[in-house]
Amino acid sequence: MVRNRLLAFAMVLLVTSASSRGADSLLDFQSQVAPILQRHCIRCHSPNNNQGELSLATLDDLRANDYVIAGDPESSYLLELITPTDGQPAAMPKESNPLSDAEVALIRQWIVQGATWPSDVVVKERSKADETWWALQPLRVAKRISSDSNISDAPLPPASIDEFVRGKLADKQLKMNPPADRRTLIRRVTFDLIGLPPTPQDVESFVDDSDPMAYEKLVDRLLASPHYGERYARHWLDLAHYADTHGFERDMRRDNAWRYRDYVIESFNEDKPYDRFVQEQIAGDVLWPDDDQAVIATGFLSAGPWDFVGQVETKSDQLRRSARVLDLDDMTTQVMTTTMAMTVNCARCHDHKLDPISQREYYQLQSVFAGVRREARVVSDSSLKAYESAKQQWVRRRNQIDFELARLEGDGLDLADIVGGGNGSGTGTFRQGIDVRNAKVQTRDFGRLGNVVPNRFAASDFDFVDGVFVPSGEAGQAKVPVTSTGITISGLPTTSGDAWDMIRNGPVASQHSPELDGIDFTQDGHSLLGLHANAGITFDLSAIRQSLADGAAETSPGMPLRFTAQLGYFGASGPHRADAWVFVDGRNVAEFKQLGREDGLQPIDLELSAAVRFLTLVSTDGGNGMGHDQIGFGDPRIRPKTSPTRSDADAHRIETLRGERDQVTAELDALGPPPRFYGVVAEKDLPEVRLLTRGNPETPSGDVLPPSALSALAMLDPELGTVTTDEGQRRVALARWITSIDNPLVRRVIVNRLWYWHFGQGLVDTPSDFGFGGGRPSHPELLDWLAEALVHHDWSLKAMHRLIVTSDTYKQSSRHREPAAKVDAENRLLWRQNRQRIEAEAIRDAVLFVSGKLNLRRGGPGFEDFDYQDAYAPIYTYTTADRPELWRRSIYRYIVRTTPDRFLTTLDCPDPANLTPKRITTTTPLQSLALFNNDFMLRQARYFAQRIGREAGTDPAAQVDRAFALALGRQPSQQEAQLATEFVDRQGLFALCRSLFNLNEFVYVD
Amino acid sequence: MSIDPHHNVVPRLPNHSRRTFLQSAAGGIGSLALTAMLAGEGRGAGHGQSHHAAKAKRVIQIFCPGGMSQVDTFDYKPELDKRDGSAFDPDGQLQFFASKPGNCRGSHWKFRRHGQSGLWMSDLFPRLATCIDDLAFLYSMHSKTALHGPACFMMNTGFTLPGFPSMGAWVTYGLGSEAEDLPAFVVLPDPRGLPPGGIINWGAGFLPAQHQATTLDTTDPQHPIADLFPPTDFDQVTPASDRAGLSFLQRLNQLHRQTRPGDTELDARIKAYEMAARLQLSAPEATDLSRESQATRNLYQTDHPDVGPFGRQCLLARRLVERGVRFVQLYCGAENTTAKKIRPNWDSHEDLPRDHGYWGAVLDGGASALLKDLKQRGMLDETLVICTTEFGRQPAAQGNGLGRDHNAGAFTAWLAGGGVRGGIGFGATDELGFKAVENPTYSYDLHATALHLLGIDHTRLTYYHNGIERRLTDVHGHVLKPILA
Repeated sequence: MVRNRLLAFAMVLLVTSASSRGADSLLDFQSQVAPILQRHCIRCHSPNNNQGELSLATLDDLRANDYVIAGDPESSYLLELITPTDGQPAAMPKESNPLSDAEVALIRQWIVQGATWPSDVVVKERSKADETWWALQPLRVAKRISSDSNISDAPLPPASIDEFVRGKLADKQLKMNPPADRRTLIRRVTFDLIGLPPTPQDVESFVDDSDPMAYEKLVDRLLASPHYGERYARHWLDLAHYADTHGFERDMRRDNAWRYRDYVIESFNEDKPYDRFVQEQIAGDVLWPDDDQAVIATGFLSAGPWDFVGQVETKSDQLRRSARVLDLDDMTTQVMTTTMAMTVNCARCHDHKLDPISQREYYQLQSVFAGVRREARVVSDSSLKAYESAKQQWVRRRNQIDFELARLEGDGLDLADIVGGGNGSGTGTFRQGIDVRNAKVQTRDFGRLGNVVPNRFAASDFDFVDGVFVPSGEAGQAKVPVTSTGITISGLPTTSGDAWDMIRNGPVASQHSPELDGIDFTQDGHSLLGLHANAGITFDLSAIRQSLADGAAETSPGMPLRFTAQLGYFGASGPHRADAWVFVDGRNVAEFKQLGREDGLQPIDLELSAAVRFLTLVSTDGGNGMGHDQIGFGDPRIRPKTSPTRSDADAHRIETLRGERDQVTAELDALGPPPRFYGVVAEKDLPEVRLLTRGNPETPSGDVLPPSALSALAMLDPELGTVTTDEGQRRVALARWITSIDNPLVRRVIVNRLWYWHFGQGLVDTPSDFGFGGGRPSHPELLDWLAEALVHHDWSLKAMHRLIVTSDTYKQSSRHREPAAKVDAENRLLWRQNRQRIEAEAIRDAVLFVSGKLNLRRGGPGFEDFDYQDAYAPIYTYTTADRPELWRRSIYRYIVRTTPDRFLTTLDCPDPANLTPKRITTTTPLQSLALFNNDFMLRQARYFAQRIGREAGTDPAAQVDRAFALALGRQPSQQEAQLATEFVDRQGLFALCRSLFNLNEFVYVD
Repeated sequence: MSIDPHHNVVPRLPNHSRRTFLQSAAGGIGSLALTAMLAGEGRGAGHGQSHHAAKAKRVIQIFCPGGMSQVDTFDYKPELDKRDGSAFDPDGQLQFFASKPGNCRGSHWKFRRHGQSGLWMSDLFPRLATCIDDLAFLYSMHSKTALHGPACFMMNTGFTLPGFPSMGAWVTYGLGSEAEDLPAFVVLPDPRGLPPGGIINWGAGFLPAQHQATTLDTTDPQHPIADLFPPTDFDQVTPASDRAGLSFLQRLNQLHRQTRPGDTELDARIKAYEMAARLQLSAPEATDLSRESQATRNLYQTDHPDVGPFGRQCLLARRLVERGVRFVQLYCGAENTTAKKIRPNWDSHEDLPRDHGYWGAVLDGGASALLKDLKQRGMLDETLVICTTEFGRQPAAQGNGLGRDHNAGAFTAWLAGGGVRGGIGFGATDELGFKAVENPTYSYDLHATALHLLGIDHTRLTYYHNGIERRLTDVHGHVLKPILA
C-alpha cells in the first residue's frame, strides 16, 4: 500500500512539473519529446519498419495523416491512440510498455505548443548499448604503489595474472588446482605453442631437468621455434577466412595467395609488434611501398571469398553492384571484427540494434575500402624486374651450359624440351605444351578438350615438330594422317576419340605423379614428354639431323640416329590402362599395349637409319575411356648413333660445366616463383559511397560520405578524411585510428584472443564481438591489465605468450573437482585448466609427426592433395595424401573453398567462407569412422608401425613402450602394457598403431 | 527440462540459456558434447520439443539447379504465347545475366489443365500432372540474385553468401534425428556432379559440424558413406581385426577415462565409436535398393538410362525417410562443368527444348514416382516434399536462339504432403511470367512455412554468430498460411 501511494505521488509530481512548465516555457523536443517516441514507438514505426504505414522518425507521416494537428490536441489522432479510455488500455503501443500519464501529458503539451519538430532531429531506435558500454571505455588499470613508499596499508592491486585469478576464485571460496605434472605440462604447452606433440626425448629431458627455470627455458625454446609461427598463423588465418581459391560458383585458383600465408607465419616468428602487424595488413602497400613484406601483408584484405561470376562475368550492372557491395561488406567486416571485435556488419541495413554504430558510420567505414579491388598482382614492379632479370641471367647461362654439354657428350636433343618450344638443349619452357587440335602453343592447363576432330593432322610451327593429331583407330580401319607429307598409319584400336590437355614438356594437367620406378622425371636433369591419350606427335628427323650436324664437326646430315626413352604409364594405379606406339615414317616399330602404372618403365632404344624422316609417338586410351591415361616418355632423346670421340680437354671441360650447372640450378631454386601475390589494387576512379537504404545497392540516399571510423570511441577522433581523400590515405588513416595508443579495444581484443588460444576460452567468450550481443568479461580488470601489459612489452605477442603460459593459472592441472564444478561448471573462473581436443589440422599434423613422415619444409606454394580439373567451374577431387610433398604441415595445405577436404571438415575444420574467431568442437560417429578407416590414417598407421619396427626391434614389450612414448609421450601402465602386448601378439603392430591414433588421449590435451 | 546426454535432440530452452547451452556444449569446455548425428538409444525421449504440433516429421527436398523455366513448366502464360515473336524489350532497356533480351517466346510445351483442381501444367511433365491435386504451387517465388552460386546459397541457406547453414542443418539443429542408426541429414548429389557452389550448399555453416549433411554415394552400395569401412585394398585390415582393434581402443579409452572423472566429452567420444559401428550395419542396408520389389523399381524407372539415376535417388530418399532420416535433399542436375551435348543441369541458355526436355523427363519420372509411392504407403501425410530451383528463366528468348537467360524475378516452387494443401496455387507473376507481382515471395517464406510444418517457429530457431542471433530466414519470412491444409 505504502509503495503504491509513493508511486502515485511521484507521478503527480511529474505531471505537475510538466504542465507547470508547459504554460510558460516551451518544451525542448529533442530532450523531452523525442525520447518518448524513441522508447515507445520507433521500433515498429520507422522508415525501415513502417507498420501501419507510419514512421515516427520525422514529423512528415504524423502531419500528413492528421495524427498530429499543431495546436489542436483534441483532433490529433496520436493522442487518442496513446491515451487509455474507460479503463481500457491505450491502443498503442502494441509491442512496448504503455506511455505513462506524464508522458502522455508531455505529448499533449507539445501539440498544444505547436508540435515543433526541428528538421535536423530524426528519431531513431536506440541501440541496446551506448557510448558508456564497457568495451568502449579507456583501459582501467590500478597503479600499484611502489613498495618503498609506505603510505598506505590498503591491499595492493593485483600485479600478476595469478593474483587476478586467485582473487576472483577466493570471492567464491574456490582455489586453483595444483600444478600439472611436467609430462602433462610439456605436452600441453608444446601443442599450444607449436601445434605438434613433444618428442619422447623432449619429454624425458624436461622431466629430468633439475633447473628450476626448466619450464621457462622450454617456453623460450618453443617460442623461438619456426613452428610457432606456423601454429599461430593458423589461428590468424581463421580470422581472415583465408583460402587458395575464390569460392562461389567458379571457384578458381589463387596460386599466389600463399605469400600472405607465409607473411603471417614470418610475422609471428619474428614477433612483429602487433600494432605494426595490423597497420601492414590494412595499409602496408601505402605506408611501406618499398618493403615487400608490408605490401604482401595486404593479402589480409583480399583473403576472403570473391565472386567472379557476379563481379566480372555477368553483363548485368545491377548484379555487379550487388556482388560488389557484399564484397566490400566482407572486407569491412573482416577488418573491424578481427582488430576491434565490433560487429559493424549489423549496421548495413539499419543502425546497429545493439551497439552504438549508425548505418551512416557503417557506410563511412565501407568507403575506406571502396577504392580497392582484390586482384593477383606483383609485389612491386621493381622486385618483379629484379626477379626476372636474375632469373633470365641464370636461365641463359644454364642453356649455354646444356647446349655445350650436349655437344661435348653427344647427348643429342631432348624431345620434351622441343615440345616446350626449345632447341632440344634446355631452352624450352617447362610445362609448355602443343595443342593436339591445332598445334598451337599453350601454357595454361586444360582438362578434357572440346571440339576435338580425330584423325586430322595439324602442322606445327616448330622446326623440329612436324605436327600433331588425335588418333581414333576405328578397329584398325581408320587411316590416321601422321605427317605433313600425307603419310598415314592404320591398325590402331578404337578409342573414345577424346583428348585431354596438351602434349607437354613435363607432366600434363592433373598429372597423378611424374614419378615412376623411383625416378621423378621433373627433377635432377630428367625430362618428361607428357602425352595423355589420345594424342600423337611427329618429329621431323631431317631438321634434327641438321641441328646436330651444326653442333659438332663429326656428325653429318646423313648420319644414323638413335631414339632412347623410358616409356611409362604415369597415371594412377588401378584398373586404368593405355597403349603407346612408336612409328617411323608410318611404320609401326614399337607398341606397348595395356600399360598400367604397375608395369613400370619400358626402355626404348631404336636405331633410326639415315633414310628415315619422321618419328611419330602415339598414345591411345586402351579402350576403356581416356581417364588417367597419362602416358609419358621419360628422357626422350635423339642422338647420333655413334658418340663422338672425346679428348682429355673435352672431358675436363665437361666436368667444369657440370659443376657450374649445379651452381646455376641452386641459384634458380633459390629464386623460387616470381614475386606475385593475391592482394588489393586501387580502382582507377575512387567510387562514391552513399548510405544504401535497407542495404540495397539500388537505393543509395543522401550525400557522398567521407571516410570515418566509429564515433562511439569517445577518446578517438573518428574522422579519416574527406570525400576527396584518396584510396590509400583512407586505409592509412583507418590503420592509424585502429592502432592508436588511446584505442582500448584493439588491445583488449588481441590479448583476449591470446587468452582464448591458450585456454580454449576467452576472458570474453566471443572473441570477435565485444558489443552488447557478445559475452561479458569474466575478469575485466585482468583483461585491462593484460591490454596495458601489451604496450609495456612494445606490442610483443611473444612477451604476452610468455606472461600467460608461465602463470600458475595456465600451468594448473585440468583435473575436475565436483565441488568447484557445482559453483562454476563452465570454469569461467579458471579453477582448473581446460582439457581441450586438438583441432583438425593439429590432429593431422600430430599423426604425421608420430608416424615419422611429417615433412617440415616451410613456406612456398601450398601442397595439393587433390586432382585439379580445369573447367567452367573447376573440379577438385581429393586423393589420399601418400607422398612426402603432401606430408607437409596442414598450414601449407592448398585450401579450396567450394570443395573442402572432407576428412578435415569432419574433424571440425571450419568453412573458410566464414570468419572464424572460435573453433567449434563436436564429437560424432563420422569422426570415429574417419580416424579409424580413412585411407590416409591407415597408411600413416602403417608407417608408424614400420617406424616402431625400426626403432624398437622385434620385442613386443619394447615395441609397445616405444609406441606409447611416441604417440602419448609416456610409458604405458602395467595394465596397458599387458593389454597392448597381447594385442600386438594377436593382431600385429599395425593394429596397435591404428588404435593409438584413435585414442581419446591422442586427440585430447590435459 | 532435463538434458539427456545420450540423446541428440537439442533442448528447446529460452533463447539465451539455450544459446549458452549450445555454445558451451559446442565449445567443448567442461560440458556436454553433442553427439547429434545419430540419435542413439534415446529415441522418442526428446520429441515434443517443437514450438507447436508438427504436421510433417521429415522433409524430402528436390533441388533442380541451373534455373528451371517457370513459363515452360508450371506457370501458364497464354499472353506470352500470344506475343510469341514480338519484341520483349522494345526500348532496349534491359540487360540480363548474359545477354540482351530477344523476342517473347511462348512455352516450348503445351499447357493443359489437370486433376480435380484444374491447375495448369505443361506437357513436359505427363506423370507429375497426375499428382497435381497433391501439389501446392508457389508461382511468385523470386530471388535476390540471378547468379547460380549465390542463388543456390540463398535457396538453401537464406543468404546469397557462402558460409550460412542450409535448411537441412537448421532442421536437424532444431529437431535432431529420429533415426536410430542413420544420419539425420542426408544429401544425394546428382550422380553427374556437384551443384553450383559445391558441397557447401549443404554445409552446416557456423552451426556445429554435426549438423552438416552426410552425402551418400549411391554408386557403391557397399560403401555408401565415406570411410564407413576401410578401403577394400588395404589388406592389413580384416573385419576381425577391425573388431579387435575397436575393442582394444575402447578398453584403453576406458582406462584413460577412469583417471579423468567428470568429463562427459570423453564419454561421448567413446560412445561415438559404438555408434559408428552400428552405422556400418545400417547404412548399407538402407541403401540397398535390391530389397525393393520389382514393381517399386519399375515405378521409379530405376533401369532407365536417363531417368534411372535420379529415380534411384528418389527411391533411396523414400527408404531413408522411412528409416527416420529427418531431411533428405536430392539434386536433379549438376554444375556447368564440361560442355556436353546436353547441359549437365537446367541452365538452358542455348537450347531449352533440348535441355529442359532431358531434365524434365528425369524430374517427371523420379518426382512422380516418389509422390505416388509415399502416398500409397501412407507416408505422404507426414513427409513434406519440396521441389525448387534457384531462380527462373526469362519469358524472352536469349538472342535469336532457343534458350532463355536467367531470371531472378520469378520462378515456381511446389510443395506436397506434410500438412500442405494440395491442388492450389499461391501468388502470381505478371502476364508474361517476367516478375512475381502478386504476393512475391523469397526463400524466406518457403523456409518459414517448411519449418512451421515441422513444428518450428522460424523466428525462434536461432544461433549466435559474430554479433547476431542468426536465423534461416534472416529478419524476414512469413508462414504461407493459404497453402496449409
